[in-house]
Amino acid sequence: MAASGSAGRKGFWERLQRIDRRWIYLVIWLVVMVPLIKPFPIKPVASPPVQQMFSYIDSMPEDKALIISVDYSPDTQAELHPMTLALLRHAFATDRRVGLVATTVYGLGLGEDALREVKREFDSVATRHEDSVISGEDFIFWGWTTPLLTMMLGMGERITNVFPVDYYGARTESLPMTRHVKNYNDVGILVSVAGSSMPISWVAYAQTQFGLRIGCGTTAVSAADYYTYLNSGQFTGMLAGMRGAAEYEQLTREKMDRLGMTWRVRNRGTEAMSSQTAAHIAIILFIVVGNIGYFATRRRKS
Amino acid sequence: MKRKLPLIIVLVTGIFGVLTYIIPHPIIQDTDAVFRNDILRVIGAFSIVLGIGSILRHHFIKIKRKAEHWGYSWITVVALFVSAIIGLFGGIDPTRPGLLPTQVGGFSFHIQSLFTGLIVPLGSTMFALLAFFMASAAYRAFRARNLEATLLLVSAFILMLGAVPLTRMIVRELPSFAEWILAVPNTAAKRGIGFGISLGILATSLKIILGIERGWLGGGE
Amino acid sequence: MNLATDPWVWVAAIMTLAVFSFLYKENPFYRAAEHLFVGVSNGYFITFTWHRVLVPSLIDPVGHGQKLWLILAAIVGALYFTRFIPKISWLVRIPIAIFLGYGSGMSLLRSVEAGIIAQVKATIVTRATFANWQAGLWALIILVGVVCTITYFFFSAERKGVLKPISYVGIIFVMVGFGASFGYTVMARISLFIGRLQFLLGDWLGLIR
Repeated sequence: MAASGSAGRKGFWERLQRIDRRWIYLVIWLVVMVPLIKPFPIKPVASPPVQQMFSYIDSMPEDKALIISVDYSPDTQAELHPMTLALLRHAFATDRRVGLVATTVYGLGLGEDALREVKREFDSVATRHEDSVISGEDFIFWGWTTPLLTMMLGMGERITNVFPVDYYGARTESLPMTRHVKNYNDVGILVSVAGSSMPISWVAYAQTQFGLRIGCGTTAVSAADYYTYLNSGQFTGMLAGMRGAAEYEQLTREKMDRLGMTWRVRNRGTEAMSSQTAAHIAIILFIVVGNIGYFATRRRKS
Repeated sequence: MKRKLPLIIVLVTGIFGVLTYIIPHPIIQDTDAVFRNDILRVIGAFSIVLGIGSILRHHFIKIKRKAEHWGYSWITVVALFVSAIIGLFGGIDPTRPGLLPTQVGGFSFHIQSLFTGLIVPLGSTMFALLAFFMASAAYRAFRARNLEATLLLVSAFILMLGAVPLTRMIVRELPSFAEWILAVPNTAAKRGIGFGISLGILATSLKIILGIERGWLGGGE
Repeated sequence: MNLATDPWVWVAAIMTLAVFSFLYKENPFYRAAEHLFVGVSNGYFITFTWHRVLVPSLIDPVGHGQKLWLILAAIVGALYFTRFIPKISWLVRIPIAIFLGYGSGMSLLRSVEAGIIAQVKATIVTRATFANWQAGLWALIILVGVVCTITYFFFSAERKGVLKPISYVGIIFVMVGFGASFGYTVMARISLFIGRLQFLLGDWLGLIR
């Protein structure tokens, strides 16, 4: 009886060790999908690096611009695009001038997509011309150029030399915002939202040479590596992965509520947190069960 | 000539690049600004030829030799030319159409529509597959075989649980502890490794400028 | 359920499902989607290289009779074409050499400044660091961790005597750091999948409220 029970257990763990990978895929699919449809109430609380970036942008001198460098491509947009959207909402809600650049050509389409979405939100509730978000006045989408050094160093000298025309083809010299934002001296912070090591390049070129303040929005894969730059003060704040985006969304939401801007927007980072929680627990259980199975079968073999 | 000339160019442009950082004299800085903003940009734009040329050559060879799955190569070639024609002649700003109309009735096939309708879903879904491969690997490969591996797993568990808002309700201090791991022991380890990487970049840059590293010349004479 | 009416959302949904079909097994839908992606993304690249780099930086100024010397830069750039002409393919090394040399020279001191000097400064512990005892303690742990990690990766001397315990402490720091990276990698990969489901369930099917 005991022997057959033991054999049964052995069979169970061994079978579990050799389970078809597609069952694991199915579990992950369900674990992510169900909380998206039926989420549990979650309120993200900002971690210190997120709070640091938000506070700096919120309190930087009014005549200084925010530059968002869209340094990611579609592969990592799920994590990073919500950051760009939240940064734009925060900047437009607090009347900051915004410049957008892209260090990859695919950042162009994503930058355009983010601008269009946030501009539509603000324009839909604007009652006066000044309340709407206007290209060339409230923001300039400078776009992309190559090579990287031309952009990172050239913008410190004169932005219009690097971008004679903006993304939409307008002469940048003729745009009203250009009178206020000529080079890095007029920039409060540049936030590099990146799926690569681009924030480090911004530090190496723009910060080392021109003293530009750099913030970082990064994929969670790179975030742990970038804490050294946060610790050294080379980064003024960091948004790490979708969680970082959710925390920034929460701070922006609260700020907009305080300013009486209570229209509803889809905060994709916050929306994802229920699924993220469930998936993390599932992965931990996978590892634990995998280890129990491994040690159970190894002990029997030995 | 075929190897010496490129090596001399690397040496000269490399030394010039270093000088731009240490000599603030206007002659150096102005020359650098022209070199960077005008010359390099034009030369750099042509580098696209390498990428596009290689892709087209690869697929044309596959089609010519009728290699395995050669039919799919037509999809790449046709998609490349069609999207390039739409982009080149249809303009970038939808409010200022180019030579080629990019709207048929209510349907737009503007380059930005191709971007959001094709490039974004295809690119992001290909990377989303990694979530499944990672889950499978986590189940099969991560074993707490010794103290070091156990430390790695425990650290990972704390990070995974601390990174999501729900755990704050269960263990209030967990997110702060996860943040401490990132800000203190993780920073120490990554900084130690980072010094090695920075020194590696320094050594490689010097080797390239001085012509010791010649791998980039490729094979042949 | 509130199905999307935009045809491009439907196209994007079909493309998403075609790529996800790879999870079951490799199939013609996945292969077609993969090849389509390579083609369209390169067409997009060509578009913007032309409109936003070549036209404003070369065609416009030269067309207006300004900066005619840019034609020389264009000739050097055109040497990239020689990569596909076997007899003169070595000429492609010239534009590559210009970029490689200049890029290496530019990064040399700036990387040292950003990656070494600033990092060393941040690691040094002084009396001022202990103005707040907690911050001082964490700074001290970082200093110890950095020294031990570097010692662990120092392979020029045999690990014995005092080096042995120091490098062992180093491996502990490294493992905690790698664990942090792994934990965050899990978060990242899951996020990418969540992003696609947000699109399928939200933008396409309208199931997310």
